[in-house]
Amino acid sequence: MKFKNFFFRSVSITGVPIFGLLILIVALFQFVVPIFNATVGDYITNLVPVLLLTVGAAIVIIGGSIDLSIGTVCGLSAGITMWTLASGLPTALSILLGVATGTFFGLLNGFLITKFGINDFIATLATLNISGGLLIVLSQATELYGAESEFFTSLVYGSFFGIPTSFFIAGAIILLMQFLLLKTILGRRIFAMGNSGAAANVAGINVRNVKLATFVLSGTLAGCAGVLLASRLGGVQAFLGLGYEFTAIAGAVVGGVSLAGGRGSAAAALAGGLFIGTLAQGLQLIGVEPIFFGIVSGLALIIGVIFDQKIQDIGQLRSRFDSRVLAQPPRKEGDHG
Amino acid sequence: MANQRFNISMKKFLSDPILGVIILLLLVGGVASFTVEVFFTLQNFTNFLSGSYFVMLLAMGMTVVLISGGIDLSIGAVMALCAGIVAKLALQGMSVPLVIVCALAVGAFVGCLNGLLVTVVGLPDFIATLAMSAFATGILFIWTKGTPIVGYMDETYKQIGGLAPIYREVTVPMVIAIVVAFALGAMLKKTKFGVHLFSVGSNRLATRQSGINVTNIRILAYVISGVCAALSGIIMAGRNTTVPPDLGGGYEVLAIAAALIGGASLMGGRGRILGAILGEVVLAMTINIINLLGVPSSYQKIFIGGILLLAVLVNQLVISSRTKILMRSTNKK
Repeated sequence: MKFKNFFFRSVSITGVPIFGLLILIVALFQFVVPIFNATVGDYITNLVPVLLLTVGAAIVIIGGSIDLSIGTVCGLSAGITMWTLASGLPTALSILLGVATGTFFGLLNGFLITKFGINDFIATLATLNISGGLLIVLSQATELYGAESEFFTSLVYGSFFGIPTSFFIAGAIILLMQFLLLKTILGRRIFAMGNSGAAANVAGINVRNVKLATFVLSGTLAGCAGVLLASRLGGVQAFLGLGYEFTAIAGAVVGGVSLAGGRGSAAAALAGGLFIGTLAQGLQLIGVEPIFFGIVSGLALIIGVIFDQKIQDIGQLRSRFDSRVLAQPPRKEGDHG
Repeated sequence: MANQRFNISMKKFLSDPILGVIILLLLVGGVASFTVEVFFTLQNFTNFLSGSYFVMLLAMGMTVVLISGGIDLSIGAVMALCAGIVAKLALQGMSVPLVIVCALAVGAFVGCLNGLLVTVVGLPDFIATLAMSAFATGILFIWTKGTPIVGYMDETYKQIGGLAPIYREVTVPMVIAIVVAFALGAMLKKTKFGVHLFSVGSNRLATRQSGINVTNIRILAYVISGVCAALSGIIMAGRNTTVPPDLGGGYEVLAIAAALIGGASLMGGRGRILGAILGEVVLAMTINIINLLGVPSSYQKIFIGGILLLAVLVNQLVISSRTKILMRSTNKK
């Protein structure tokens, strides 16, 4: 029991266990698959958009909600960027439009949830369909392509000091989000709201605005992810982004972001996303079919949630114990009764 | 005296979740019959109804889960998986009743697994069922190697899918939908389990403290929705004539929308089988009208998202206005 307590407490320091696991499986795959090292750069480049989505999902989940629309919003943003580029708009403007699409859907989600009081999960399920449908209409159920901007392709394929540009972009965004969550007033409010919306409200936090902000952030991150995705793929298919939300949420949860809200960080989500990505890539190199990927992330998600609950249980046991000790009247010297 | 009786029946009518959907049905049907010429014909009605039985079954199962206070996002994938099982086993020459029993067993098994994940393991309901949906789709993909299953159709499966009638206008899906509707309706209204189900959905803690096994009831709700999904899959296999691996995508959204339009609540403890059926009729009618107006089918997904939002909004409006009316009438006393 003592060991179990110690184990879960040390593991509950957000992000520590998942970083450990990440190093473990990277080491394992390097041992098992000889070509793993050669492909690692490529696969992280592929993973960058999903990592941004994972961080966005983490922000909303920490705030105690869920955003199912990020996958298709990311796809739609990619589509809008590609479409505007192909129709001859300046590169900077179409990138801006792509990101703005994400922000718009974030705002839409936030308004539906905070102003109209629609359940978060139903509202984002509806916007999932709407944004996915818009991409189908936009691409006429085929594919969008034809961006001829050097700068746009260099977003992903260019490099500084041998490191792909997209790493710098995504790294900067994720660092910013980590800072925002841990060091700013908004970040503290997001955590407070995730722990208990009612308590945060009583404490004078405008819970509606904070919730709106979390959805706008996750939508904007989805927009950024979409732009990077379009740059990497060079063509946007009608069903792009469908199912990414599941990988993103699974990554966040595996990284130690609690679905109950109020616990997690951007770095932890990043580690979780990398973990699932590495696992998928490693399995693929071993020769497991990519079809199994959904099953793997589903399993990872379930294990992550169970783990999180164990940590919560231990925490509750401890706080109950603490409160019982504190509730006892202070003992006087020489009082043996 | 008569006035009082009128008040009571009025109150009863207003507190019925069916009210909203009937208004919506009349509204949509009324507008359409004036604007779209071919809409109000028997041919068109049987046409869109025959395509709506399998979603109806899904919506009925979803209603049962919603009443218990949960949600089941896996039904679309489970439906596809069961359709795949039917097609695969039929190809291997298994007899029809055995095939159906196998599909139903798989549906019940997946439902049971959902229930166990939600209750015993304690996962959030939509995460557990979303993961199950990924599993089911993954299994179907692995099984079919990404290509549609074809070549299992014969006369029996044509009848099961409703492509060939068994007597005049009567088709097998219609009969199945009606039988399931009566069975589930009777279960909710007349049995102890039904009463317990509503009670679990309204207040889980109070139900547990009054000595009812909440876990079993919640698991059983998921099993029922799994079996409904399996039935729907059996019909789908016959109706679609092929089983592509991505068959089930998006049907859970339709089912949730139909159940919500029919007066079920995401908070649990509210919902009716008749509501789910009428809700799906409204949905099918709307999609039918959109098609008749000549809107390209690529827009369909956007409309479904919009309808889902509208359904929830109307649902909330009906509930809040009903509460107001009820409050006013009790305050008068």
